[in-house]
Formats: sequence, structure tokens, C-alpha cells
Amino acid sequence: MTARTLMRSSLVKLRTTDTVAAAAQVLLQHHLRHLPVVDEQGRYAGTFGIYSVLQLTLPTAVLMREGLDNVAFITETAHDLAQRLRERGQELVSQWLNRDPVAHPDTPAMQIVQMMLHSHTSIPVVHRDSHHLEGMISSSDVLHTLLEEHH
Amino acid sequence: MHGSGEVASAGSMWLAALLFVITYGVVMSEKVNRAIVSLLAAGLMIVLGILNQEAAIRGIDFNTIGLLIGMMVIVAVTRQSGIFQFLAIWAAKKVNAQPWGILVMISLVTAVTSAFLDNVTTVLLVVPVTLLITEELKVKPYPYLFAMIFASNIGGTATLIGDPPNIMIGSATGLTFNDFAYNLSPVIVIIMAATLIPIYFIWGRYLKAAPEDRQRVMQFNEYEAITDPMLLRHCLIVIGLVIAGFIFARFLGLEAATVAMTGAALLLLLANWRHGPEEQSKHVLEAFNEVEWITIFFFVGLFIVVHGVDSTGLLRLLADKMLALTGGNLTATSMVILWSSAILSAIIDNIPFVATMIPLIKAMAPTFGGPEGLMPLWWSLSLGACLGGNGTLIGASANLVVAGFAERAGQPIRFVQYTLMAFPIMLLSIVISMIYLQMRYL
Repeated sequence: MTARTLMRSSLVKLRTTDTVAAAAQVLLQHHLRHLPVVDEQGRYAGTFGIYSVLQLTLPTAVLMREGLDNVAFITETAHDLAQRLRERGQELVSQWLNRDPVAHPDTPAMQIVQMMLHSHTSIPVVHRDSHHLEGMISSSDVLHTLLEEHH
Repeated sequence: MHGSGEVASAGSMWLAALLFVITYGVVMSEKVNRAIVSLLAAGLMIVLGILNQEAAIRGIDFNTIGLLIGMMVIVAVTRQSGIFQFLAIWAAKKVNAQPWGILVMISLVTAVTSAFLDNVTTVLLVVPVTLLITEELKVKPYPYLFAMIFASNIGGTATLIGDPPNIMIGSATGLTFNDFAYNLSPVIVIIMAATLIPIYFIWGRYLKAAPEDRQRVMQFNEYEAITDPMLLRHCLIVIGLVIAGFIFARFLGLEAATVAMTGAALLLLLANWRHGPEEQSKHVLEAFNEVEWITIFFFVGLFIVVHGVDSTGLLRLLADKMLALTGGNLTATSMVILWSSAILSAIIDNIPFVATMIPLIKAMAPTFGGPEGLMPLWWSLSLGACLGGNGTLIGASANLVVAGFAERAGQPIRFVQYTLMAFPIMLLSIVISMIYLQMRYL
């Protein structure tokens, strides 16, 4: 069993040129945690998710590598967080992509499960040569296929 | 004068010189990790017969190594308490979150902390708070980061433990914490104040923040930055004891490394005695992992390389050449050391430079009436090597750490842009040092 048999091909996708605000709306509309992002040529660029949106409510000094880990002293309100998100709403999703490992159509099922346990997210399936997005595999997809196999 | 195992011949002198120059060149190229280069060069010093192992080990200044490791462990534990963030927020609020006032206060906090603890750790922990404050105030962080680089290197110059060159000089000469504080602190205060003047005229007078943005900074609760009050108490007690140990080291007959290592062990005990053995091992390992082992092994290799070169008589020869150049005049020699160490430290790593200069200056003792006569030269070396690091972005490790943060915050500090502003201000600090040395010692 490989990624090809586990993946879903009909996908909701974002484009690298989409804004953060538009992407947040798509996530809410489809009740999804994260979405694959493709460029103008349909090549996979990364993923953008609900946590990508939430992190934009935080100051840069907290987000950056080796930034502040204790933020208990910052007494901001939900209004302040929302304001920061609004200010960043017009930034492009391409600036905030997650670049977790990807699978290829021939990646074995066991490796997919291992990647999933490691990253705790759905796994994008990308064509090995063209880098086009072929599909996504969620943990539910894997479980569903495995239970079907059992019966 | 060569002890057992130290061979001196024209051949070994040139071989050692060649090895030394290659080591310097490769370290400067930054193509190979500097610890690898210095350890390999140290190994070759032995393999090629310039030193035997016994002599090589004698060349390692274990007082410097112990002092560095001890202070690194103390800082590794202390940083977990949140004290650095507390100080930065407290300082910002003390000036009612006025942008220029914050720049001055953050610079002072950085300078004072860098005088007693590691510069790199200081900026590593204070820069994120500074970036947060500038973000809240909607002011550009560049002037703040620029001032912090200067403050960390200037503050570090003030004490025996503030900067590696001072640690090396102190260890090699027997100069104490008090000697450094007494001789360097006055000029450091003047240099810090003088550095803030051009920063004010270039950037400071244009820094403005809206009252509502300042109010957001004023609402920060600095006490929430303290993550572990008990740990903080322990850290403050141990740092206080360690500084007292340095101050009374001569009276107690203790070397600096003993004070720092004992302090580190005591802090580890206080921070861990409540935990079980497994938890203790985990915490101790975490603290040891924070020790900059690359720097430590770089020092070990470098001491052997410099000792190898020294044992061949090459540094004695260079010292004679330098004295011939300055006519054996103390003022001229002092100025040559001050200016050359400042300019070179802005471009190259000041650690190998100082390691080389120490035996070279020691060799000048007979000309200047013994070790006492060398005092102005040691202060020239310290001021030049430590302050010179401000001249360029690669002049000191702390500069690169700040630049890394600026890059990640989307406000990069460019090498040329920085140098154009920093080099003249660094030269100003050297001019002040020159006047100070002239007035006090020459």
C-alpha cells in the first residue's frame, strides 16, 4: 500500500498569492485545520493552517527563532491580538508557509504513518519530478483505509 | 629558557611560525570550525616535535578555561530565572516608556550585565524584549540594537570577567578583579556616555512614540517575567558570592577559576537539591550543554599553538622588533598596542590576537623595569581588543547574535551600513582610551 491508495485527490487549495485574511476565511468556511498551498503553476509550496493564523496575533519578538518564550508579562487584550491580526491580514500566505516533509505517490504506507505521528498533521502528496500537488492524506484517511482493509 | 620538551632551533621556529600563520588564516577564513582548526594545529605542534605533550599541557591556561566554564554554567542556570527580561522591562518602565530613555536604559542594563556575565547571553536574552518594546512603540529597532552591541562590548571591558581578552590577560598576569575595575571602570563610564551622544544625534532625537503605545509598554508586568522566584534568589545569592569572591580573591589566596567553578557547583546544588537523581542529571546536563564548548576547545588548542610559537623564541623576537620600532618608549609602545589591537579586533577574532600578544608583552618586561612597568600595556591591550570589537559586525560574537535577531525580525543590520556608523564611534572610544591612558599612566 502506498500514498497513492491513501490520498484524497479532490482538494481545497490555497494559492501563494492569497492573503492571510482570505486564507483564514477559507479555513473557517471548510472547518479545516490546514490547507495545501500551490503556486501559479500548481506546484506544491507548503501548507497554511489555523495555527499559522493564530501565530500572527503574536508580536514578532515572540514568533522569531530564539524569541521570547515567556509572554506572561505582556498584558494585551483579545482586542490587541485581533488588531495585530488585522494589520497582518493583507500579508501573503507565502510568507507564513509550513514546510513539513511531504510524501510522493509511491511512498509506502508505513512511512506515511511514521511521518504523520511525527508531524501531527496531514501529509501532502507531491509528484516526485514536477512537484505538482497530487493529494493529501489525513489521519482519518489512513484509519478509514486500514479499517476497510480489515473487513 | 625552554623547559623540558620545548625545542628551540631556527627550523622549529619557522615551522611553528608557519603553522601559526596557517592557523590564523584558516580561523579568519571561517571555512572550518575554529575549534577544529586550533585543536588540529595544537596536535601538529606536538606531532611535528615543536612541543611534547607535557609541554603542550603546560601551555594551557586552565585558570582561563575554568573561569570561562564556571561563568558559563552560572549564566546557563541564571538565564532560566527570567532576570534578564525583568531588568529590560523594569528599565523601560523607569523612563515612562520614552523611546530615547528606553534606549539609554537598555544600553545601561546591557553594559552592566555584560560587565559581570557573558556578553552573548546578555544580548541573546535582552534583544527579544527590546524588539517587543520597539514593536509596541512602533519605532525602528535599529538604533536600539546598534546601541546594545556597543553597550555589551563596552560593559564587558570594565571587569576581569566581562570579556574573554580580560580573562586571558588577568589569568596570565595575576591582575585581579579589583585591578580591572579600578583601572578600567572610570574610562568605561566615560566611553559609554560618549557613545550615546552620537547615537542621540543620529537617531535618538527622532525617536517618538504615541502615548497609547507607550501605555502598552507601561502595562507590562515585569514581575511576571520572573519564571522561578526561588531559582532567582539562589542565582542572586551565588552571583553575589562569586563577585565577592573575585573582589577578595587576592586576600583569600584564590584564583578566579576556583571562585567561578565553586560558584557554578554551588548554584547547581541549590537549583537541584530538591529534585530526584534523574531530574538532577537532566538539569545538570542542560546546564553543561549551554557551555560553549567550541569556544573552550578553541582556547585549549590556541593556548598550545601560542605556547609552541612562544617556546621557539619567535614572540621574544617579535617583541624586540616592536620595541625597536617604538624606540623602547613606553608611551609609543602603549599607543601601538592600543591602536593595533583596536583595528585588528574589529576585523579578526580578538581571542587569538590577545593570546599572541600576552607572551609578546610579557617579553618586554626587562625593557620597562619588570612586570609592574607593563601595566599601561595591559590596559592598552584590554581597551583596544575589547572596544575594537565594536568596529564591524564581525568584531565580536555579541554583534553577530544581535545581527541574527535583527535579520529574523525583518530589520537586517547590513555590514557596510553598520561599519560606516560604528567604526568612527569605535575610534572615538579609542581616542578617549588614549587620552585616559596618557593622563593616568604615561
